Amino acid sequence: MNALLQGATWDDFTSWLPDLWSGFVLSIEVTIASLAVGLPLGLALALGVQTKAMLLRGICLAVVEIGRGAPALVLLQFIYFGLPSAGLPLTSFVSATIALGWSTGAYTSEIIRAGLDSVPGGHKEAVSALGLSRMDGLRYVILPQGLRVAVPALLGFSILVFQASSLCFTIALPELISRAYEIGTNTFFYFPALATAGLFYVAICMPASFLVSYVEHRAGAYAVR
Amino acid sequence: MPQQLRVVGQHVGKEAPLALTNKPYVKLEQITKSYGAHTVLRDVNLSVHSGGVLAIIGPSGSGKSTLLRCINYIEPPNKGIVTVGDVTIEGETPVSRRDLRALRSKLGMVFQSFNLFPHLTVLRNITLAQERVLGRTSAEAELIAMQLLTRVGLADKAAQYPSRCSGGQQQRIAIARALALDPKVMLFDEPTSALDPELGLEVLSVMRELATSGMTMIVVTHEMSFAENVSDHVAIMADGCILEYGPSREVIRNPQSARARQFLRAVNER
Ligand SMILES: Nc1ncnc2c1ncn2[C@@H]1O[C@H](COP(=O)(O)OP(=O)(O)OP(=O)(O)O)[C@@H](O)[C@H]1O
Ligand SMILES: [Mg+2]
Repeated sequence: MNALLQGATWDDFTSWLPDLWSGFVLSIEVTIASLAVGLPLGLALALGVQTKAMLLRGICLAVVEIGRGAPALVLLQFIYFGLPSAGLPLTSFVSATIALGWSTGAYTSEIIRAGLDSVPGGHKEAVSALGLSRMDGLRYVILPQGLRVAVPALLGFSILVFQASSLCFTIALPELISRAYEIGTNTFFYFPALATAGLFYVAICMPASFLVSYVEHRAGAYAVR
Repeated sequence: MPQQLRVVGQHVGKEAPLALTNKPYVKLEQITKSYGAHTVLRDVNLSVHSGGVLAIIGPSGSGKSTLLRCINYIEPPNKGIVTVGDVTIEGETPVSRRDLRALRSKLGMVFQSFNLFPHLTVLRNITLAQERVLGRTSAEAELIAMQLLTRVGLADKAAQYPSRCSGGQQQRIAIARALALDPKVMLFDEPTSALDPELGLEVLSVMRELATSGMTMIVVTHEMSFAENVSDHVAIMADGCILEYGPSREVIRNPQSARARQFLRAVNER
């Protein structure tokens, strides 16, 4: 244990906390921003890949395929380092939001599409037979049922996005991992600082996982009902 | 085929005078439908007068459901003309959204599997389309929904979710949902097939009451007593064609073709 702590004292730990805390807050912020971009994008893409308009559908398919095919790290690098050379400089926070939002949109579009597909075909027929417009059918009948099915998987994916926010360390966003690494550089307590950062991740991810299984359970009960 | 005129109980709404002419309210001409190379309906012709009740019977896979779904264009036919009241849609030309709306506004549909929306209360199931399609206020829609629920004997279920209702209750709610939009014609696709016999009876009695009140109905069914006693005309389908058509008793008691006789014998032995 002492070997792992590398001789770091309690006072050392407490002195890191303000920095780690501000990194943690930034990690949460970039996660929320990415989800705020990515989840609506996922919904739009889920609907877009099913539309009959060929051009729109092609664009949506491309966005999904690139978002799923390219590792989040590559998207991040491409947008932060690549776009400025194309004359579009972005802050690291905005780059991170776009990259993680894109990735989130691509993956969650599949989750949402599966949710929408789980709505029985008969309900779509009932929507048509009642004369409801396509928009109303989506809004009042298909989405409320389909999204409910997708919620557990979406929550699960949100946890992954929070973890993936640590990749922003590579584009100089001072989030949790960057802060821990910085402390390591200054004090040479690399391992203790990173381990403390790890505890912050655990503190969010463990309760969130419990929440997901609870919601999954509830959703299962709903399906049976 | 000569149409029999029923004189009693067919003065429905403002379009009632139609029944007194020889012009049918619903007319299907040369309806053809294929799925890929598989032709499901071949040149089907049928008509129903205002206030008339037509039962469609026939073996499984003969195209009964498909025919019904072609009438309200849930399944657009490949060819043929569908006329309902003053709306005429031809199968080969693209359908305008306006025509589709006009067609569907005249047709209510009830499915074998009810298709109530499980995330909405019974009341909301019935008010949703009234508000969104007909533009009624929620107060108006609720009033009408409650009247209809009372009519089908389920006023006490208004606040429940459909899953808390028996199959027979769900189907009666589905009927109320369709009626709430003031359809001129009700289409039923085997409304009792998913139900135990007793639960089927409560649905059939609602349908019988509806027929007596003068509603124009097209009913795909395996219930021979309904076909014989409630409907005024029967069509027997096989392999995508109308095998026989005529006044109920005549068709059921005295079928002309060997294929129809075989089918009716099989039904009676069940
Ligand atoms: N969406 C579809 N795609 C391909 N084939 C279909 C489709 N819908 C129906 N069919 C085929 O069309 C034929 C007629 O089906 P339909 O459901 O109209 O028969 P039905 O008379 O209603 O039978 P049942 O009494 O079993 O309900 C069947 O052979 C069926 O397999
Ligand atoms: Mg059928």
